[in-house]
Amino acid sequence: MSTINFAAREINFKIVYYGPGMSGKTTNLKWVFQQIPQNRKGEMVSLATEDERTLFFDFLPVDLGEVKGFKTRFHLYTVPGQVFYNASRKLILRGVDGIVFVADSAPNRLRANAESMRNLRENLAEYGIKLEDIPIVLQANKRDTPDALPVEMIQAVIDPEKRFPIFEAVATTGMGVFETLKAVSREVLSRVASS
Amino acid sequence: MVEPAVALFGEAYEKAARVLEELLRESGARYTLLLDRKGFVLVHKEALWAPKPPALDSLATLIAGNAAATQALARMLGEPRFNELLHQGSTHGLYVEEVGELALLVIVFDSSAPVGRVKLYGKRAAQALEGITQEAVVSPGTLGIDSEYREGASALLDELFGN
Ligand SMILES: Nc1nc2c(ncn2[C@@H]2O[C@H](COP(=O)(O)OP(=O)(O)OP(=O)(O)O)[C@@H](O)[C@H]2O)c(=O)[nH]1
Ligand SMILES: [Mg+2]
Repeated sequence: MSTINFAAREINFKIVYYGPGMSGKTTNLKWVFQQIPQNRKGEMVSLATEDERTLFFDFLPVDLGEVKGFKTRFHLYTVPGQVFYNASRKLILRGVDGIVFVADSAPNRLRANAESMRNLRENLAEYGIKLEDIPIVLQANKRDTPDALPVEMIQAVIDPEKRFPIFEAVATTGMGVFETLKAVSREVLSRVASS
Repeated sequence: MVEPAVALFGEAYEKAARVLEELLRESGARYTLLLDRKGFVLVHKEALWAPKPPALDSLATLIAGNAAATQALARMLGEPRFNELLHQGSTHGLYVEEVGELALLVIVFDSSAPVGRVKLYGKRAAQALEGITQEAVVSPGTLGIDSEYREGASALLDELFGN
């Protein structure tokens, strides 16, 4: 980990990867961790079960660099997607600045995608936040699945009003991973600058 | 930013740093950190004699997560809060004290520092830090973040994640 000069001004953003169990949230973070140069990232922390399902969260700090005298950092988190971990999921949302919703393109996960989006809306509401109050980017992951559903169909269940940008991805090979992260980061930055 | 952010720099930062330094000296602890509840490090200090600390970002995240889980447990049991968090192993200890609603004070100590002393000075420091962090609560708009900042950051995003 690089040393941090706290006398300098710092701006930190928290981005949370949300979505149903096994949709590829942790895989997104792993890819980012592998691809980012050493001096721009910290350690990746994963609190997972023995079979690699996220138990509490994954965490990866990414250093964007210095802008106008502000050291700018993104803290990336994933939540546990499995339904019964909702108490932990709610905690991770505290103080969130932007969300990546990772949907699974497999036909038998369509309903899980919809339920996870509803769960996100409910959990945000407990913090007094509405979906439209916060930058959200959608990712249709696992596009390499042989019977992957059309993106429009996935969008129709998680965002029927087409409010959020959607990206196609294959997180295992990195396709779409940076595009998604860049899009949400940009939106987060623009909200801060205009507030 | 949905929650109010604590932005420590300039004089507030110096003040908080002095409180942490004094805390280290008085308690005999190794490291001490002030975090916001999201798990971001605001200030940290290490004793000169202490070995190199572990990755502070990771430490901060785990402590903030742990503290959030502990408070959720308290509420489930009908308690407004559990006051402090103490973990002790055979040589290392970790003590966490709430600093108002927005921050956490963390003290990492070893067997050379009696836990009673750590707690005593920890509570005192937490009180001193509460006022300092309250004064440092800002809305991001007042930090001087503007469209110029956004453009600069945007360029860095392209550099890091490609076009
Ligand atoms: N074929 C394919 N498999 C993927 C893709 N992304 C992730 N996987 C696999 O899907 C499985 C689950 O991925 P994870 O990243 O652990 O899923 P998660 O969303 O973090 O799951 P939880 O932690 O339970 O919420 C793993 O075996 C991944 O290798 C993808 O784009 N294509
Ligand atoms: Mg996971």
